[in-house]
Amino acid sequence: MSLIRLNPQSCVRLVRICYHGKRDYSAVTQSEECSEIPQYPQIYDVSPKGKIKTKHERFHQEIQNLNTVEEKLMKINMPRYYGWRCVNVCESSIPYNAELMAQYSTRTHIVKEPGLPKYYDRIISSDKLDAAVQQVKKRIEDVILFEHISHKKYKELELIDAEDHKAAVDSMGDKLVGQINRIILATLSSESPHLLEAQVDYEPRIEAFWWSGGMWPPKYIVNRKKKTYLAKYAEDLVDRRIQYHGTPTLQLRHEFPLNEIVSLSESENPDFIVPEFRYDPRVIGYNLKEFHGTNIPGFWPGDKNEFGIMSYHRRGHIDARKSSFKDENEALDVQAVFASYSWLLSQACYQGFSTFNDLTYPLVTQTVISNGQLWSFYAYQLNTTVMHSEYADENPRRNLCWKTGPLKLFETIADGKLVGFNDDVLKELIKFYGNTPQKRNGVNMTPYLGDDEKRVADIKDSEKREWLEKHYKHMVSNRPRHRQREEIDWWERIYKIYFNTRFMDSKRKQWEFGKTHSSRRYDDHAPEYIPKVLRPGGPKSKIKFRKTYYP
Amino acid sequence: MSTRWYPIYQKGNPQLRIFLPNFWMKLVAPDFRQPESVVQFHCSMEMTKTDIQNYLTKIYNIDIVKVRTRIALGRFVKEPQRQYIMKLDDVKVAYVTLPKDQKFTFPDLFPKDKKNTTIKDGEKSLEDMKNSFKNYLDRNKERPGMPNWYTI
Repeated sequence: MSLIRLNPQSCVRLVRICYHGKRDYSAVTQSEECSEIPQYPQIYDVSPKGKIKTKHERFHQEIQNLNTVEEKLMKINMPRYYGWRCVNVCESSIPYNAELMAQYSTRTHIVKEPGLPKYYDRIISSDKLDAAVQQVKKRIEDVILFEHISHKKYKELELIDAEDHKAAVDSMGDKLVGQINRIILATLSSESPHLLEAQVDYEPRIEAFWWSGGMWPPKYIVNRKKKTYLAKYAEDLVDRRIQYHGTPTLQLRHEFPLNEIVSLSESENPDFIVPEFRYDPRVIGYNLKEFHGTNIPGFWPGDKNEFGIMSYHRRGHIDARKSSFKDENEALDVQAVFASYSWLLSQACYQGFSTFNDLTYPLVTQTVISNGQLWSFYAYQLNTTVMHSEYADENPRRNLCWKTGPLKLFETIADGKLVGFNDDVLKELIKFYGNTPQKRNGVNMTPYLGDDEKRVADIKDSEKREWLEKHYKHMVSNRPRHRQREEIDWWERIYKIYFNTRFMDSKRKQWEFGKTHSSRRYDDHAPEYIPKVLRPGGPKSKIKFRKTYYP
Repeated sequence: MSTRWYPIYQKGNPQLRIFLPNFWMKLVAPDFRQPESVVQFHCSMEMTKTDIQNYLTKIYNIDIVKVRTRIALGRFVKEPQRQYIMKLDDVKVAYVTLPKDQKFTFPDLFPKDKKNTTIKDGEKSLEDMKNSFKNYLDRNKERPGMPNWYTI
């Protein structure tokens, strides 16, 4: 009874048990609850590797289940406070012998026969093409002459740094490409109205982040695994994260995507061979750096024109390469593969796909690398983005790249006149402009995004919307985190880690309790304090901290 | 630049006939998997990338595309007798990239050629017995006390 005195609620419970406890019986019911085919819960693999795989799959599923683009992109970065350790790929610094690495880490098959795919012959009839070339040719010739003369003047006036050859080539290329693009848009937009609707971005910010598997593990990972229960799997292939940064001269984008060149099922053709490169990317000169993974195709989510038509890239860095390399064409291929893949991947991310959730339809882009005189044309079709862990070798889909190789638009400029102007180069360029983007009928473009909430801007709750907007932009700005990494001094390393000579010392630092900076999550920080006067429930309110909406 | 200088010319004899700078390079087996066109060396700490390139091209006529160097930290070891901690010397490691079409594989200096050594019959049967007992132990290590007839 003392129990009842203490807690009157327990009295009620006791009464229920005494009066009704024995009356529980089940009525005879039809077996509607049982299905004819028994449905069992999923059986998980409980082997060490299976557990890790299940954990990863759950993470990938969580990303897929999120509604908005920004939340998906933030979610990838949540496991690391200081960012992922990535292979740092920059557009304009291409190491020697990088073509295998570029192809393998993007699963790209470069078609050997030079020339664009036959698809481009159907785009525009040869009569129309000739007419278009005649329309723009004279004006382009004038522009090239004008820019060269003014460039020469600038050099004489020492407004251009004569020492910096790369910058000079790039600035010349930028001007010419900008002018040629302007002329073609103005002339051809009457016949191809999609050019009127196209958005032009100058020097956009292109960033992409993906996981590429099938690489041999570095030595320290093997040694670390050998000491644990994973010793059997120490030599297993590992994933590497890759972060790309690039700045094209300009890019064109449109509301609708370009038509596919080959179908998705065709891309599984085993004849499309992707060369293997399983080495640590550092062996050819790439470095590793910590980044929060970012996927930015030159605009923020919510922009109407979210599919690329074409992009122009610089090639000043080719002239600045070491003379001993002698691999101009290979370096251009590397630049084009990384640039095209990254732009398409970041566009795909804005449609709700990611490096863990594969595309359901292919995306196509057209890449031009030019300095005004030399032009290389690439057509690229993105068929898959999933290439981590076991998908590295099992995924049958291949991304495809067609190339023309560098072509000369003109030979030289002599006596104020262009010599050897090549119409064929202009034809290739006009074919790119003539490739009309079209609406994909009957295709759900955003299968992994929410029905109503596709971007953060669609979220109704204003507090959540503003919070996500602010913190997404902050994350992709890659500013240094508020808390600095804990430093381990050399004396600690030697006398505490390598040799345990100071076991009587009291533990003071975080690493001594087994907390590494890689184990710290992105949201592992103190929440924002609300001063008493600003608290929504008045100064006496106990809600001291602001809410967080990390995905 | 070597730390030894070629002496300034002085009149008279004897003149210096041989000049040996204190530059050295040692071809070593790669620490981790590398493309076949990359060769790893240890070299003297004073050598720069240019020195390494000159050393290999001028003396050995090797085509070189690129040289990367790093200074590898020496290991920390305990003195076996007195147990104090020492640091071994640092070493400069050079990764020399050859043109793509050239390959170099580090030779197997001490091949374990087992084929030539003939095993006697007695030794072989002893080896087999050892192996089968080891297998038996491995098979049963997680179920101590289980009689051996229990397993098929």
